[in-house]
Parts: sequence; C-alpha cells; structure tokens
Amino acid sequence: MKVKESSFEEVVSAHDVGSVVVNGVIKGDMIIIRADQRDDLGHPLDFHALNAMIRKAVMTDCRRIVLEGVLGQRYVGSAASRVDLKIEVHGTPGNNLGAFLDGSTIEVFGNAQDLTGNTMNSGRIVVHGNAWDVTGLAARGGRILIRGDTGYRVGIHMKEYGGSKPAIVIGGTAKDYLGEYMAGGSVVVLGFGTRSGESPVGHNIGAGMHGGGILVRGTVSHHQLGRGAVFGEVTEDDTQKLEELITDFEDAFKMEVPRDWRAFSKVCPNTYRPFSGHYDPTLI
Amino acid sequence: MSDVALSNGTNKGYRLPERFRPIVDDTSCKRCRRCVTECSYRAIDCVGDHIVATDGCVACGRCAAFCPTGSIEIETIPNQFPPHANFTERIRRGIMSQASTGGVLLSSCGTDVEHPVIFDELLLDAAQVTNPSIDPLREEIETITFLGRRSGKLTVSEKDSFSFISEIGPVIAMDMPLMIGHISLGSVSYNVQKALFTAAKELNIVAGSGEGGLHPDFYVYADHINSEIASGRFGVTSGYLNKVAAVEIKIGQGAKPGHGGHLPGEKVTDLISHTRMIPIGTDALSPYPHHDIYSIEDLQQLVSGLKEATEYRVPIGVKIAATHNVAAVSSGIVRAGADFLTIDGFRGGTGSSPRIIRDHAGMPIEVAVAVVDRRLTEEGLRNRVALCAGGSIRSSADMIKCIALGADVVMTCTAVLIAIGCHVCQQCHRGLCSWGIATQKPELTSRVDPGLAAMRVKNLLSAWNEELKEVLGAMGIDSVESLVGNRDRLRHFGANPRIAEIMGVKHVGEGWG
Amino acid sequence: MSGLQGNPISQYGLLRTTSPRTIPERPTGSPATRPSGLGYQMGGCGISGCISTQGRGISGESISRMLTTMSERENGLGAGYACYGLFPNRRDEFCLQLILDNEESKCAVEEFLKEHADVTKDEKVFTRKVRTLSPPYPLVWRYFVKPAEKREWRGNSNLSEEDYVVKLVMHINREVEGAFCVSSGKDMAVFKGNGYSYEISEFYDINRYSGQLWISHSRFPTNSPGWWGGAHPIGILDWAVCHNGEITSYGVNKKLVEMAGYVCTLQTDTEVIAYTWDLLVRKHQLPIPAAAFAMAPWHHSEIPRMDPNSGLLAKALRLTYKEAFLNGPFSIIVGRREPEITMIALADRKKLRPLIVGTSSDRDLVFAASEECAIRAIDTQADTWTTNAGSPMIAQVGKGVVRQGVEPPFSGVVR
Repeated sequence: MKVKESSFEEVVSAHDVGSVVVNGVIKGDMIIIRADQRDDLGHPLDFHALNAMIRKAVMTDCRRIVLEGVLGQRYVGSAASRVDLKIEVHGTPGNNLGAFLDGSTIEVFGNAQDLTGNTMNSGRIVVHGNAWDVTGLAARGGRILIRGDTGYRVGIHMKEYGGSKPAIVIGGTAKDYLGEYMAGGSVVVLGFGTRSGESPVGHNIGAGMHGGGILVRGTVSHHQLGRGAVFGEVTEDDTQKLEELITDFEDAFKMEVPRDWRAFSKVCPNTYRPFSGHYDPTLI
Repeated sequence: MSDVALSNGTNKGYRLPERFRPIVDDTSCKRCRRCVTECSYRAIDCVGDHIVATDGCVACGRCAAFCPTGSIEIETIPNQFPPHANFTERIRRGIMSQASTGGVLLSSCGTDVEHPVIFDELLLDAAQVTNPSIDPLREEIETITFLGRRSGKLTVSEKDSFSFISEIGPVIAMDMPLMIGHISLGSVSYNVQKALFTAAKELNIVAGSGEGGLHPDFYVYADHINSEIASGRFGVTSGYLNKVAAVEIKIGQGAKPGHGGHLPGEKVTDLISHTRMIPIGTDALSPYPHHDIYSIEDLQQLVSGLKEATEYRVPIGVKIAATHNVAAVSSGIVRAGADFLTIDGFRGGTGSSPRIIRDHAGMPIEVAVAVVDRRLTEEGLRNRVALCAGGSIRSSADMIKCIALGADVVMTCTAVLIAIGCHVCQQCHRGLCSWGIATQKPELTSRVDPGLAAMRVKNLLSAWNEELKEVLGAMGIDSVESLVGNRDRLRHFGANPRIAEIMGVKHVGEGWG
Repeated sequence: MSGLQGNPISQYGLLRTTSPRTIPERPTGSPATRPSGLGYQMGGCGISGCISTQGRGISGESISRMLTTMSERENGLGAGYACYGLFPNRRDEFCLQLILDNEESKCAVEEFLKEHADVTKDEKVFTRKVRTLSPPYPLVWRYFVKPAEKREWRGNSNLSEEDYVVKLVMHINREVEGAFCVSSGKDMAVFKGNGYSYEISEFYDINRYSGQLWISHSRFPTNSPGWWGGAHPIGILDWAVCHNGEITSYGVNKKLVEMAGYVCTLQTDTEVIAYTWDLLVRKHQLPIPAAAFAMAPWHHSEIPRMDPNSGLLAKALRLTYKEAFLNGPFSIIVGRREPEITMIALADRKKLRPLIVGTSSDRDLVFAASEECAIRAIDTQADTWTTNAGSPMIAQVGKGVVRQGVEPPFSGVVR
C-alpha cells in the first residue's frame, strides 16, 4: 500500500478537480469513491471530476477502485490500460462506460446505459444487470459479459485483428441489428428470460457481417437475419468457444448455464466480401 | 434518298451540307460489309474494295457499334456555315429546309435546344452529425411506391381490439418510385414494347402502353401496364381495361403540348392495324383535344365513366403536359376525381412532333412538379393523389431531385430506349431506326432481342433504384416517401435565384435556418 | 489522454484547470419574438417524463432532478417542463400560457383575446431572477379562456372549441408582436425558456408545482435560437411534446399538417410532431398505437408477418398517412390530457435515439427518459426496460401502463 488517505485528498485538491472535496476511503490498495457527493453549490459530481479522481487513484497505485452511487457519469474507466486494475461501479454508470478500454476490468453492479465498451481494444467489462443500446461498438478485443438484457445494435462492427478476438456474452436478450457489420469475434446470446414463443434476438441480425459469429441460445427465424448473414452449423470449435465463454459467464455471475449446444443457432457471414457486386467499375 | 428528304431538304433547290460522316479506317477494315448492312439510312456503302461514306448519316452509331474491327468513327462535320451567334447553323438549316419543302419541321426525341437544365442546378443534401446516414447495403431502405387514390383519413377504433373501415384505393404498389412512360406500339416495335413490359413486370413497376391500344399478346403483362386513353381511343376495349394496373387519360404530352398525334399510314402495318383497330395503311390520327373533353367537368365525366367501366378496381389517372397554368389545371384534375396525376415536362420525348412545339412550348418538369406539389398542398389535396412526373429524366439524380421537388413516381422513356440501343439521333419520325426501336420494318425490328433488351432495361432501372437508396441513406431517410416534396433536402446552385424561389428551394449556403 | 496508467507529469499537464464547458452565448433578443431569418431548427437533447398512474401529485422537484441528471445532454440553449393536472379548479377551461416581451405585447394579446374568447381569469406566472440567466426575461402570463359561443374564423364557421383555440394560438404566434403562446390545453401548462434545465427550473420555481404528469426537455441545439418560444416542450392544446433527434422528413410532415390548417410558426420538427399528434389522434380519432404506427411504421417487408387483418390496417395506415411518417432519428415523450392524462414514449423505427422507460416498484409511477440515470435519480429501485423501435409505451392515469412498448403494433384487429 502506497497511498494514504490524506495524501490522496491532497493530490486532488492541489489540482483543482472542480471544487469537489473528495471523500475517498482507502483500504489496502483499494479506494472507495462516492460518486454521489456534491460540490459547494450542490451540483453533483460530474464526469470530469470523477474520471480525474479515478486517474489519480491509479497513478497513486490503487489497483481496485470502488465507485459508489454512480449516476449517469460518462466515460467511467475510459481507456484504462493497466491489466491489474479493477474498477467496481455501483449505481448507474453513464454512456460510454469503458470506452477505448485497453486492458483493465470494469464490473458494474447495476445497469449500464448506451455505448458500453465503445471501441475497446482489450480488457473486461462485467455488467450485473442490463446494458442498453450499442454495447461493444467496434470492439477489437476484450470481453463484455452482461447478465441481463441488451438493446439495439449490440456488437455492431466488432472485428478481430492479430490474436485478439472480442467476445460479448449476453445472459438475456438482444434487440435488432445485433452484430451488424460484424467483422470478427463472437456474440453469444443465452436468452434467459425470453418470453415463451419469442426469439431472444430481434431483426436484421448480422446485416452485412463479414466475419465472426453470433451464437443464440433459442430460436432464430430466417426473417430475422440481415443481408449477408446466414445460418451456420454449430461446430466443435464453436462449442469449445461456447464452453470457455459460458464458464467465464458462470464464474462472473455465480450461476449455472446448461450446455445444451443443440439449442444454439449460429449466424455467420455468407461471404467475406458481401457487397463486391454492387458497383459498376466501367470506365464511361 | 426520298426518306432522307424529310430532314435534308434536297428535293427543291440545293443540297444542305451533311452533318455527320462515318470515317472508316481502311487499314484495319476487313471489308466484311457489316456496316453497310446495318445502316438503315444508307449512309455507308462499299465502292470497289473500299467502304465509303455516302450522304445522310444521322450519327446513330449503329455501324461503329457493329464493326467487328472497331474501324469506324463518326465525325461531326464542323464549320460548314459562316459563324453567327444569332442565326445559328440550326436556325439556318431550318430556314433552308422549309424553303425547299414548305412544310412544318418535324423532329423526334426530346428537344435538343440548349435551355438551362434546372436538375443540373440542384444539389442534394446529406446527413452530417445531427442525424445519422443509413447504410443501404445493410439496412433496409424502402422504395415501395403507391400509385392511386388515398383517402387522406382513416377511421380506426380501438375497444378490446382494433377495427377500421377501409377507405383505400384503388391503388397499386410498385417496388420503385419509377415507371416506364408511354411508348406506343406504332412509335416503337412489337419487340421493344414486349421488352419494356417484361422489364416492368419483373421489376414490379408499371409501363405505359402508349396510345395504341394493347396487343393481345401483351395481356399477360396487363397487371403491370398503365394503359393510356388518348384522344384517338385507338384499340381501347373493355377487354383489357379491367386487366391493367392503371388507366391514364392522356390530355397532353410534354414534347407536344396541345398537339395530337399522327402515325403515318406506312407505319400502320398488319400488327398495328390489329392493335389499334384501324384499317391497314390508313393514317392513325389522334385529335388535338379529346372531343368529349372541352372543359374540366367533361374530364370528370370521362374519369367517372372509366371508373364505372372498370368497376372502381383500377386507379384512373390523367396526364397533362407541363404548361404555364399547370398548377391550377392540376388542382382541377384532382377535384375531377383523378386517382393519380402525371405531369410531363417540355423536354419529354416523342416519336414525332413538330419541332416548333417540341422546342418552344411548355415548361420544365422541375418547376412544374414543384408548383403542382405546392398548389395541391395549399388546397389540401396533395394527400389524395399520387403525383407522377416525367419529361427527360436522364439519370437517378434527376429522378431523386424530381421526387424531392414533389413527385411520388418518376416516369422515364428515353433513358430506357437508350438502354435498348437508342442513340438519340432524333430520326424516330422517319421509321428507319437502325437500332430496330422506332420502326415497323421487319428487317429492322428483328434487331431487338426482347429478352436481352428487357434485361438491359431491368439493369438500368435497378441500378437507379440502388442509387436512390444510396442517396436516401446518405440523407438519413429510410423510405422514399419521406423524400417526396421534401425540398429542404435540395439547394439551388444556379444563375437564377427566382427559379429557386418559385420551386421553394433554398440557395446553396442557406442552412436550415 | 493516455490510459489511466502513465506518466504522472503529462497526466497532470492534461488535466483541466478551468471548466471545460463552453458556455454558449445567449443572444439577448426578445424572448417571445422569433428572430427574423430564423428558420428550421434542429435539436439534440435530453428528455424525461414521469406520470403517477394513481393520480397522485408529483412534485416539480422530481422531474427537475430527472432532467438535470442528464446534464451532459444540454448546452444551456433551452429547457422546459410541462405539467398536467395543474389546475383542478379550472379543468374545463383552456389555459393559454404566454411569454411576452413587454406590457405592450400583453395589451395586444388581451385586446385580441377579449374579442375572441371569454377570459375567465388571468394571472402572472411566478418567475424570479436567476443569477446565471441574463436578462431580458419575458413576462409570463396565463389566461383561462372559454372560446366564444360563435366560433367563426376567417370564413370557417362552426369550429369545434379545440379547432377554434388552435386558430387563436396560431394568430397570436404569427401576428401579435412580442407574444408567444407556449401552451393552450386544459389543466396543463408549459414552463420553458432559454437556459440550462436547472436555470429554467429555478426561474419558474418548478418545485412549487405538483402534477400527475410531467414531461421535460433539455436542449443541445445545433444552431442557437436565442428565444424562449423555441425551447421544448412544444405545446398545442393539451398536447406537449419533448423530442430528441432530428426528423429528416420534416418537409414532408410539414405539408401534412399545413394541409390540415396548422401553421408552422416555429419551423421546428418538434412543432410538426405536436401538430401531427393532434391531427391524427384528436381530429382523425386514431387510437394512439395506430397514430404511433403511422409515425414510426413497420417496414413493408415486415407487414406480411402480421396477422392478415393487422397487416391490412398497417398497410392502410402507411398508405393513408405516409406524410405522417417521421423519418430519421427521434425519441419523443408526449403528454396529453384528453380523455385522461396520458404519457407516451416513442422511439423511431430504427431506434436511433435513446429511450428507456420504467415503473416504480409499487407500479404507481411510470418513467421515461433518454438515459436510465434520470430514472434512477428519483427511484433507485425502479424496474426499467427499453421499448421496441417504433413501439409506443403508453401510461395513463387510472389505468397504469396500458402498453409497455414491446407488444405487436395492434393487439388484434377485427374487420
């Protein structure tokens, strides 16, 4: 432990992070920050101040940051890159939670809003609740585990490069445009809580996808597929991947998921060049 | 050379200089004489061991297109008249020709006079930041378009469940906001009309029948045909009126507003006679007006009559040429009960029209469609009818701009004929079309393979529709109906701001505010 | 900024020492007069709404908290609140709430109203000086009116009371200089202005009011309007609309409402949305789900998946009301009083703008907002969900959540 309570407060006030007095409670290499504190004018802690505090805590070698009472502050843990850093979020983090994340772990005890894990490169986001629209946009690596439901355009334009393959596991359901433009990685939808007779996913699934795969535990009808997406067979490679992801999911949420591979539908691209015939290159 | 006399005026007086000449590369020419066979104007010949140009080349391009060695180029012969900016070559040719013949100058296709093209002075909008553009390759962009009557109001109630009273139609749904305009059997050949109807059916749009009735062979395409009722009423029978997708009363045509039609007896072959239900070899004359329509209430009578005859199953439209009072006339037509209204701009094509009318009467479709759309809106009528517009829609850009100016459906003719082979040489009225399009001569009409021609038309219009989707997506619009009359998405970039004002389009540089 | 790890010195160097917010310049024109040359306006923004389905009073403090929680969604160029169930003692009279540039415009309005309606009461709306909000402040006044017995307007006779009030409002907004009528419904009023949500809340002292339904809006406009009338909610009769997004079909939608006699004085897409609701639901008597379908319809390619009768209704709506289709990104929260106080939350058919709804654990309160944090700000235990694209969530006083916004468009259609 290198940080002392007093020194932390000193650091914060010395650099004028708004006019907020920070109540950070240090335990070992952990700091607890109350995000619902207010400044002298009674204004809530805004994201500038909160994120500056997080950065400072990291600089002073905190490896576990617990945020209490988060309410809509955006960009929490944005671009955090220390692999041994873990940020716990209690409350409702705002949009772009863990945007550009590059190695650290963020765990949310509550619901996340839109754009969680935007353009993340590596790292891990675990949401013990729902994560709404556009989760995992353009993720190039790392993993997002969501216990509950997601909204529209989840996993849109995820891609893989080199050795990194992003993955999103959704415990509940997803809505339209899941995995649109997808160019790599895995999206897994476990479908818990799906209403009977309904599909756990919406429409236009995998439209324009040209890499990666979407695995849905539950029924997916042909009309739910977007242009360029087709059904594929769940192969042994897929079940291996599923096993690994589901085990991780179970550990994260302390729950059991049946290994009923036959219940999975796989959506994959029909080509890696879906729109090559669209244009007329004739010299005129 | 008697055929050529019509345009060249060589019969009384002196010869007019040639305008075009095929140039044959003697070194690569294989002397196969394909060009000589192909030239229906007899403007190229074989003399001894050489292929040479004779008189009467119209630059239709047929010889060059079919030369197996690519040895032919067509030259436009320059500088044959002393330069004069006012008495242009075109004017002087007209004078000389009329001095020889004493006739009304005839021409075809749309006017070639260099009026400013307003379409080219309009620029499209695209979404940036404040709204997202939509990727048409991945997300659905709807181009489905309805042609027909709308009630403007629906009666729906909800108690335990919904119920509603249908107040819809008659209306047809097309897959694109496009229709192939009226090109009659007579002005074009059987094979061409077959190709157009085939394409329309496969694209799920409609094609106009033109005013020549409907050949029984084409009844199979009837559900994709917009059948024209013109002043001549040629071939109109209840036999097909109940089968067609739509019926359109033709009051006028953009290329010749206020003018009727004249299909010369030579063109009234057995086939045409059968379709038009007139004797072989007689002139087919379409009166200038409909002699049962001398006023707007008479139009209402004919509209109602057709609705009765078709038992209200088929939308009944009215087509007018865009003339200066087009807005008021249009309002009257809608009030007279038309289910759709077609406006044809002055640049529209024709198989034959007096040049004086083609070049000098009417108004551009850009302005016409904008003022009609506005007038119908002001009078609370715009959501009752479909508005169709045509008159030289040359590209998807024209189509898109025309829609943004107020058209539900855009009509194109010349472009689809170009797809089939037409080079717009403006000789349709002579019936010698080397491409086998505007002719009834069997040796020429056989040059059009209906299957291939249909495919080319389909390719063209599908490509336009894809381009429409690209533009809609860029504008952040995912259904074409949200572009209809949406002038906010256009800006004027031309010399005459008054035109923009009349069209209700802002100038470039003016934002939303 | 590099990651959390990194060189402390460069990290310190990048830290802000002053407020990063660009405080927008607020033009100091007349608050109630639309500046000349100001045309079509677009808006980004935050929206929130809260209804007590058991008809209990919700304090202004709650809605204000919801809205200000989403402070990142505004830039100080407009905010507003609409409150329903506000005048229980005058619930049968139209309340015209106006913002006025000065006494002169007030006199002009009063003269006009005296001639065309029966003003039963008028009162000054409480406002106060806000430290950060620079003058001029408008004069805010409300008039309770009963429309004249003989409701004639420029040749139109026998207008309904509502249509007549619409004519009065359109006239005031167009013709009376320095006057702008911000709301004109019964038992409701709109409080709005040019400032941050907390400033407007303070200006009107929103906390003093209590209502069964509140909807609110904070604005992030693309161009700065600089006048109070341009803020949201936009109200006509008992309708109030808060809108986030930009309608790409504005020119088309405007034509529809103009054909029906509405005059677009504000030139904003939100105004057109408000008139479209009034046209479809009040004048054409469409049920709310049918009107919502017309505004955010299913794709034609999806319609065959409906049962045949629903499909017919869907096609009929798309065909008949194609000009009502609001294309482009939007999420809206709509308030209405007739026949019962209702909150509608609707997102566009591609769900391009955020919208989340929820209920309190006792099912009394129903919330809608751009972001979940707005709901959590007043109820940490709320049950939240997202509506489907183009599917309205409808909550009504006395009925609760009548549609969650995840159902098929029409619950059974009979013919």
